[in-house]
Amino acid sequence: MRLSTRIRAVALASAGLFLAAACGGGGGTTNSNMAPPDKQILRANDGTEPNSYDPTQQTYSYEAAVGRNVFEALLKPNAELTDVKPAAASKYDVSSDGLTYTFHLRTNAKWSDGKPVKASDWVYGYQHLLNPALAAGYVDPFFDGTIKGAENYGSIDVTSASAIDAFIAGLGLKAVDDNTFEIKLQHPAAYFKWVVTLWMAAPIRKDVVEAAAGGSFTSSDTTKPLAWANDAKTIIGNGPFKISEIVSKDHVTMVPNPGYWGGAPHLQQIIYYFIADGNTAYSKYQTGALDIIGVPTADITVVRGDPVLSKQAHLYPQLTTFWMSFNSTKAPFDKAAVRMAFAKSIDRIKLTKDVRHDTDQPIQSFIPKGMAGYDTSDNAQAYDPAAAKKLLSDAGVTASQLNSFKLLTRNTTGSKTVNQFIVDQWNTNLGLNIQLDVIDSKTVTSRIRKGQFDIYGPDGWGADYPDQQDWFDIFTSGACHSLNWGCATIPGYDDLVKKANTELDQTQRNKDYLTAHKMLIDNAVVAFMYQAYEYDLVAPYVNITQTSFDDQNLPGDQNWQTAYITNH
Amino acid sequence: MAVTAGRPNRGALLPSRVSALTGSRAGSLTIFIVRRVLWMVPIVFFVILITFFLMHLAPGSPWDKDAGRQLSQVVVNNLNAKYGLNKPEYQQFLIYLWNAIHFDFGLSYQYSGKSVIKLIAEGWPYTATIGVLAFLLIVPVGVGLGVLAALRQNSRIDYITMGFATFAASFPNFVIGALMVVVFSVLMAKWTQRAFFLPAADFGLDDHLIMPVITLSLLPIAYTARLTRASTLDTIRQDYIRTAWAKGLSERLVVIRHILKNSLIPVVTTLGPTFAFLVTGSIIVETVFNIPGIGRAFVTAVSSRDYPMILGTTILFSVIIAIANLVVDVLYVFIDPRVRLT
Repeated sequence: MRLSTRIRAVALASAGLFLAAACGGGGGTTNSNMAPPDKQILRANDGTEPNSYDPTQQTYSYEAAVGRNVFEALLKPNAELTDVKPAAASKYDVSSDGLTYTFHLRTNAKWSDGKPVKASDWVYGYQHLLNPALAAGYVDPFFDGTIKGAENYGSIDVTSASAIDAFIAGLGLKAVDDNTFEIKLQHPAAYFKWVVTLWMAAPIRKDVVEAAAGGSFTSSDTTKPLAWANDAKTIIGNGPFKISEIVSKDHVTMVPNPGYWGGAPHLQQIIYYFIADGNTAYSKYQTGALDIIGVPTADITVVRGDPVLSKQAHLYPQLTTFWMSFNSTKAPFDKAAVRMAFAKSIDRIKLTKDVRHDTDQPIQSFIPKGMAGYDTSDNAQAYDPAAAKKLLSDAGVTASQLNSFKLLTRNTTGSKTVNQFIVDQWNTNLGLNIQLDVIDSKTVTSRIRKGQFDIYGPDGWGADYPDQQDWFDIFTSGACHSLNWGCATIPGYDDLVKKANTELDQTQRNKDYLTAHKMLIDNAVVAFMYQAYEYDLVAPYVNITQTSFDDQNLPGDQNWQTAYITNH
Repeated sequence: MAVTAGRPNRGALLPSRVSALTGSRAGSLTIFIVRRVLWMVPIVFFVILITFFLMHLAPGSPWDKDAGRQLSQVVVNNLNAKYGLNKPEYQQFLIYLWNAIHFDFGLSYQYSGKSVIKLIAEGWPYTATIGVLAFLLIVPVGVGLGVLAALRQNSRIDYITMGFATFAASFPNFVIGALMVVVFSVLMAKWTQRAFFLPAADFGLDDHLIMPVITLSLLPIAYTARLTRASTLDTIRQDYIRTAWAKGLSERLVVIRHILKNSLIPVVTTLGPTFAFLVTGSIIVETVFNIPGIGRAFVTAVSSRDYPMILGTTILFSVIIAIANLVVDVLYVFIDPRVRLT
């Protein structure tokens, strides 16, 4: 989900990177240098306005950047990304059969209007998310092999209120008492603790939704239950910040939620602007009207060469990997050796250096650096043009069989420049004459969904949560037309991943995923290319204090509670 | 006066019986306006018809994402059901028409839970403000420069004016906009230690307006100036102007009463569409200056296949253009006494 439009998503390599204040204070920026409260205003570019302020309706990283600050999930990832830690729930228990999760909610948690957060609000929030009539975009992790009763999500008649009511009543969600929220699962799922860290699984206030709807509605109503999220006044959340103002398509302002259990933050205002054009944001940053922006690719060299700006620019690793897909239903791409020949003839170091301006880092494996399952021991896809050529000739494949193939390319500058480089690599190293097929983005998506392509890329995945399950499911045969465009099948892969997903012994689980990882690389299911890094400008007076995997769209955006502005 | 000769044909499609019955000019004007307003109904109908089926022909669905994992089929099915996209297209069209008659233009697909009317109501004030201001700049500056150049033909003033017009017409406005931002925002901020500079982006009823309005109006100013100059030169050479000079009228009178009144007729013709173009927004200006207007919203809607939003904005644009043309036609009556509306 995160990888749409603006690939920003996630993350951070290994243990939370501590940004020693960009001003060069070398970590010595102390609170004595903190600006007075009226100067504690952070202005950042979020790029695009959230399509909805209802967290259950959100899917993109620029939405999560707002959603995760206004709403707080039950748990969140720890700084090392090795396990979850308490968030809205102070602790949780799992029954010995792995089927019942009991979340003990914080007794001092309050909504932004001052009322206490109750378990019934959590039940209502999860029901709102799982109401098929509301068609939440990112509901899959909650019904697919997880919450009990939700497995029928896809077969409910969305026009029938009674069918929806029956479905919702049958979900394994229960408010045991005001501070205890219980979820029952279909099967044991070791990764479920990660699923509940997703921000779209938030508590929602029934009374607020009903009041804003302006009249009663049934569960098959598709608009009234969403009306509350259109007005800053009725967006009542349980997160550290609350929305004080929405200027549609321009900016959203967040201020501290006075009732938040975790105490008051330093920042008194966070303003997210929605500036789609990177150059516009860059100009605005240079006049001092923005504090955090992503550097537009075209300006990376300029920023690096500027004595002032270069000190304010930083690379932030993402848990995101990019690759190229081969349509394995088309001969000769059905042969793993042919796909491997293509994978081995891309000089990834040159690609990231020349085309990606040394921001992204080359990778020839699947799981990105910084999360469980990262392993670079398998070099099968390493750059080796001679070996690649040999693979092709051993497979009995001639250039004429491949020259009619086209590399399907989205008409964005980023895709075009990467793909032009890749095609040159293949044509030079393998003696081919493959062409680019540059088409508008929507058409590309509709083609790859139908499998109408030869080679397509770059495409990739950014972690929703740092657990392998989030990644390995992508290449199961069931996911054939959602991101596994090439649909290569590896015998035994599906069963192995399914086993690992439900395995409760973490050591065995890691071992199984590692085997699956090797399968993906050795069979060249796709050609892995690079791990994404964000290159951002941060004004010297902004002390981010901590960036982490949790960051959605801006460095540090999941730890605004500790961030502050220094005197300037 | 070839231009005006062709003008009365604008209403030629309409039956002329009604105006024949009414003798007075004012009466026929009212009937003309009423009839033209009524004609908007079939015009809008065809606009909806063509837009509806063309946009459904475009490949890709509103739920396709630009990269990464796509929504699962289960979710897509529910979304289609939620917005009625699971019905046959002709049914969707009829439902849309029925709702449109009741001024219900549906919900945006992109902005979940927001109506098209609300989205347009949010964005249009920004677009219209900048558009109207640009228009108010274009008319005096464009016409003024054109008349000045014509009256002093082949003088230094003429060359400077027309040189400027050629320059403004040939520079794409995204270049001009970006250049202005670099000079008046970025560099100015640098040189003056951020003491004085123009805001690089965003809407505001203050100095935020300067650069967007200038960027938007440069091309129409150039166009209007060149047109005015050509038309004025044409008029100056007419016999009646020579007569006016000959009878000893002052330059002011000759220029205003005799030359301008005639030379402005082709200019007025273009000002209608220009106005319509300005108040429907410019994707370039709105993107460069990050103005949350409907010009950008329309283009975003097209690229994200937000069908109701595409239809809503297209209907609005067609109504604005129809009204602008109507206003121009009515203005003729006042400018050119020979024009009879039929």
